[in-house]
Amino acid sequence: MSQRPAPYQFLYFAAAFGAGGLLSLMVLFNGTLAAYGSLLFSSWVPHLTGSIAAIILLVVLRPKRAQTLRPPLWVYLGGISGAVTVMLTSATMNTALALSGTIALGLAGQMVFSLFADIRGLFGLPQRMPTARDYAALTLIIAGSLILIFFGGSA
Amino acid sequence: MIWFAALAILAGVLVSLSRQINGRLALSTSALESSFWNHLVGLVFITIVALLIGGLFAGAPAASPWWAYLGGPVGVIFIAAGSWLIARIGAAQTALLIIAGQMVSGVVLDIAMGAPGNPWARIIGVALILAGMLVSSGARLPLRR
Repeated sequence: MSQRPAPYQFLYFAAAFGAGGLLSLMVLFNGTLAAYGSLLFSSWVPHLTGSIAAIILLVVLRPKRAQTLRPPLWVYLGGISGAVTVMLTSATMNTALALSGTIALGLAGQMVFSLFADIRGLFGLPQRMPTARDYAALTLIIAGSLILIFFGGSA
Repeated sequence: MIWFAALAILAGVLVSLSRQINGRLALSTSALESSFWNHLVGLVFITIVALLIGGLFAGAPAASPWWAYLGGPVGVIFIAAGSWLIARIGAAQTALLIIAGQMVSGVVLDIAMGAPGNPWARIIGVALILAGMLVSSGARLPLRR
């Protein structure tokens, strides 16, 4: 995670932090669907409306393709991994782990695998060695998140 | 119990795995196209599972408020953002900053909706997260040198 020019760094930070805000909205919307319909329905609907929204955006914006070469087929399978995630969390939420335990363990799994992927440069993505600064930031953010999850009142 | 804990950890691993694969697709196409395939392939997969086990329309889904259906369009932007970021700042920093944004906005949403919560835990938790973002941003801290 090398240092980059400050303007880019700020843009990346704002985009990622903002994406986290979008995730909170998704949890609220999809969780509300799950309160009325089945858990499967609460994952099926956002995938359906998301596919339609994405088609509209693609037609309107027509983003340029980065490469003319066809990528390998496995790169199209990210959606399956995401859909399985919803089913797993739905299953563990209703055990002794509850929502807080499910979120906390999920954060752990996500961070450890992300660090491993960066160090190894998995899936053709750039390889990066985390610095001491990165580990310090990780410790602070995860500590704050765990306090919010377990003592903040609601997750 | 250990079995369920392993499943919860696996769910987190799959979040990261999905973002990496989508990020790789975005490298060949675009972040938006990657987000489209993520949703379409996910839709086909969930539809097949629903056809196999049934119960997709169980409960009273028609009774849910209209705004609960907006998760899809929001998700398109979310997945596109993750696919775009991961090739630029790496998997770990992308995950960490998204978690920070989710946690802080979660507190803001809870307060806005009047959800009960421990104010001290909220203050300390948010402060630690913001401090972590400051450290991650490479801001010059007085204790260096």
